[in-house]
Amino acid sequence: MTPRELLGRITAWWRRDELARELTAELEEHVRLLARDLEHDGMAPADALAAARRQLGNIGRLREESRDAWGIPALETVMQDLRYAFRGLRRSPGFTATVIATLALGIGANTAMFAVIDRLMFRPFPFLRAPAEVNRVYLRTTYRGSTNANPVFPFLRYHDLLEARRTVAAVAAHSEWRFAVGTGDASAPRKVVGVTPSFFEFFDAPAALGRYFFAVEDSAPAGVPVAVVSHRFWSTELRSANVIGQRLKVGVVDYTIVGVAPRDFVGLTDGAPPDIYVPLGTLPANLGAWSQESFRTDYSWDWVQMIVRRKPGVSTEAVSRELTSAYIRSRAAARALNARVLPDSLVHPVAIAGPVKLAAGPDAGAESRVLLWVTGVAGIVLLIACANVANLMLARVIRRRREITVRLALGVGRGRLVAQFLTEAMLLAMLGGIAGVVMAQWGGAAIRAMLLPQGTPFDLATDWRTLGVSLGCAAAAALLTTIGPALVAARTDLAGTLKAGAREGTVQRTRTREVLVVAQGALSVLLLVGAGLFVRSFVHARSVPLGYDARPVIEVVTDFRGYTMDSATAVVVRRKLLAEVQSLPGVAAAARVNSRLFGTNTAQLRVEGIDSVEALGRFNFQITSPDYFRVMQTRMLRGRGFTDADREGRPLVAVVSDAMARALWPGRDPLGQCIHVGLGANPSAATAPCTTVIGVAENTAQQNITDDPRFMYYLPVDQVAPHQLSTMYVRMSRPDARGDLDRIRREVTRAMPGDGFAVVRPLQDVVDNQTRSWRLGATLFVAFGGLALVVAIVGLYGVVSYSVTQRMHELGVRVALGARSHDVVRLVVLQGVRPVGIAVGIGLAIAWTVAPRVQPLLFRQSAVDAATYVGVGVTMLVAAVLASAIPALRAARADPSAALRSD
Amino acid sequence: MPESPRLLAGTLDLLILKTLSLGAMHGYGVAQHIHRLSKDALRIEEGSLYPALRRMQVKGWVASETKRTPTGREARYYRLTAAGRRQLAEEEDLFKQSVAITTRVLRGSES
Repeated sequence: MTPRELLGRITAWWRRDELARELTAELEEHVRLLARDLEHDGMAPADALAAARRQLGNIGRLREESRDAWGIPALETVMQDLRYAFRGLRRSPGFTATVIATLALGIGANTAMFAVIDRLMFRPFPFLRAPAEVNRVYLRTTYRGSTNANPVFPFLRYHDLLEARRTVAAVAAHSEWRFAVGTGDASAPRKVVGVTPSFFEFFDAPAALGRYFFAVEDSAPAGVPVAVVSHRFWSTELRSANVIGQRLKVGVVDYTIVGVAPRDFVGLTDGAPPDIYVPLGTLPANLGAWSQESFRTDYSWDWVQMIVRRKPGVSTEAVSRELTSAYIRSRAAARALNARVLPDSLVHPVAIAGPVKLAAGPDAGAESRVLLWVTGVAGIVLLIACANVANLMLARVIRRRREITVRLALGVGRGRLVAQFLTEAMLLAMLGGIAGVVMAQWGGAAIRAMLLPQGTPFDLATDWRTLGVSLGCAAAAALLTTIGPALVAARTDLAGTLKAGAREGTVQRTRTREVLVVAQGALSVLLLVGAGLFVRSFVHARSVPLGYDARPVIEVVTDFRGYTMDSATAVVVRRKLLAEVQSLPGVAAAARVNSRLFGTNTAQLRVEGIDSVEALGRFNFQITSPDYFRVMQTRMLRGRGFTDADREGRPLVAVVSDAMARALWPGRDPLGQCIHVGLGANPSAATAPCTTVIGVAENTAQQNITDDPRFMYYLPVDQVAPHQLSTMYVRMSRPDARGDLDRIRREVTRAMPGDGFAVVRPLQDVVDNQTRSWRLGATLFVAFGGLALVVAIVGLYGVVSYSVTQRMHELGVRVALGARSHDVVRLVVLQGVRPVGIAVGIGLAIAWTVAPRVQPLLFRQSAVDAATYVGVGVTMLVAAVLASAIPALRAARADPSAALRSD
Repeated sequence: MPESPRLLAGTLDLLILKTLSLGAMHGYGVAQHIHRLSKDALRIEEGSLYPALRRMQVKGWVASETKRTPTGREARYYRLTAAGRRQLAEEEDLFKQSVAITTRVLRGSES
């Protein structure tokens, strides 16, 4: 077939209906003309028409013949196979439904997991030009054995890193915040991103309206307050008006809108897209006078993230090297300002040009690694599903081998037969794939909510990357599940099977099916072991004594939004606000705090008799109002907590944690001891006065829940920072604070002066975040492991059940020869349990082999935990016994007389 | 009525191509032309013209367009393409050769 002809055939096939109509019209015209001519020759009109039709020939055949010219024979064959497959599947709806459901589980699991990790780790941000050339800069330090790769650093450091010009073509910085935007009723907290004007040049995203920033608008000292709004903000909040030149209040600053970003532009933000972009240098105006004055001259505050575009042909390593030398010079500059900056030999500073996606970067943490593992697990679930489907298909082929043999005998090529199996498998896999995508979209909501930042777009129907992966999974599943049936078909012995005795030959095939059961079982065991380990880790993590009860507590962050107060007024306003919150209905207690949970702070600390307190570990402090211990339900072990009497002008007092007391004064009474804290009015511990320890509180997990040594001390707010602290912890009288969340937010906002407002969240969320990676691992492993177990056991049931049907005759003979029913049951159950026993062995061996790689993700849990391994093995075997018991009981009723009669 | 000779296999295409080499015409015209030239001696099922035309169209030997007939009706006119002309020359040669060979064999002599 020439290419031209192929093209002609394809076009003709495409227009086949039209062409068929044309042919009919042409044939009719022919008959009409012929009849007319015959009439002209003197024939009667009716006879002429009949004669014309006769002369034309068989119209049906003519159409068939013409149609042969349209389309491609191979395509016709495929269509024929498809129709054949459709008919075959319609005839066995049970089989079809089972296969589609099984594949849908496997493909759905993979689709959902891919959609998640792709969004978190791989998919480039929309509009980003040549994403492969762009890197985010991480600054890594290793101090006292713990490594920290931080993507956020001071503005001044970013400025120093700009020196790296040899390898870097372009640089931009960005910083993400939440500020109140708008005025009056319309004001609400929104995501605001500060960017350098160069930021937008990383994207191929011309402004939908207006322009982006000029360099001068981000220049020292404070830039020009101009703003670009997101397309969504523009169309929903600003009603798509021509807003260029309009005013927009962001935080406490009046901005002028100069542009609208294009639809779907999110910058470099994960999760909910930002609403407003402003010049980076204008951000600090919203963060207090100190920030605004110091951000260009001080290294003390991490808030800027940096991206670079490599010059063509430059490797990331080369960029990292150049950035590292700039980083080291920058640290030297910082040390000249502040002698406390640690020497490089202690912290090994390295700059890394890493992935733009934070979750794929060196700072990603355990969660990303758990997710990659779980994605692997989803792959295993698909393999198990494939094994199961292959098993079902094999059984089906074996059932249909008479039909297959007859077709082979009639001259159907074996290749053609395999093509038909493949078509059938493809059809099933595609249907399974579609069901899987639907499952991932609608049923994956839980996974999504658990894994993705809130607001991340998640529409699979238009997500070609994910659909491509689903398609790939489906195609792989089709190929994997066809191998078995294809082999059987290829090996079918014509003469042997055409003879009536169908019993021989089945042993071999049952063995193939048993191998599949072993494979499924082993993979299930692997997943169940993973599930067991993660569940135990999670249980351990949950049972760590925290020293507080966060469930009834609401974290309230107050934002006075430009309501300017001098210190004296601030003291009064903040005290009054706390008193009002304490008197709200449903509130049991409330306290002001300085550090948020797991966001602790340290200060210089000196204790007489100890050379270096810092050498003992990290000592965190908390500044609180008297009710703090009641709010947190932290027990006082010795002495007393704070009272309203511990205020300015009174003797300085502190409460320390039990662990801190034991570390600083082992064997001595901590009450009455002195600590010297470099904080507030006394920035140096060397000259700070004595703060007397008046109480010892139980240990609390504040830094993290794992290796935190629980060194904590508490200082009364009225003695340290009476005019500061914008966070409150509010304990509700009900055991769960969630129901009161919104009411408290409204009440506190109402109690605040000016445009001030409150942002709330349940404190328990902050605690749960700490155990998230284990909870994720536990939930997903249990879900997928359970799925795998069910699929594997159903597969086993199918095999045993089928083999019982096959052996009914033999079993009948056994019974006739005197076998008792429990002998038969034992025989059948053993047959089912044997492959599972092997599977347990193999699965546990694999688990043991990969254990060292999972170990770092677990919490106080050995990855080769005997109890878990034994438990999984026993579960698997019990499930196998149950799955075999049903067919075994049927076998026990084998009727010897029927067996004997049939021969 | 004496049995009229059947068309030799494969010659229908040749006849159609030859007919169309005279100029564009519609299907009925092609049939009439072949009838006329063969003096009604060839017995063909007129309908089989159409599948043949379709085949040749797909192969690119023949193109078609809808035109108005002199009587004012719509009809599909077929014409030869450049590829069709080449094909006609080729088939004509092949046919002549095969007739010559067949005739020689039938004559039974080696000349």
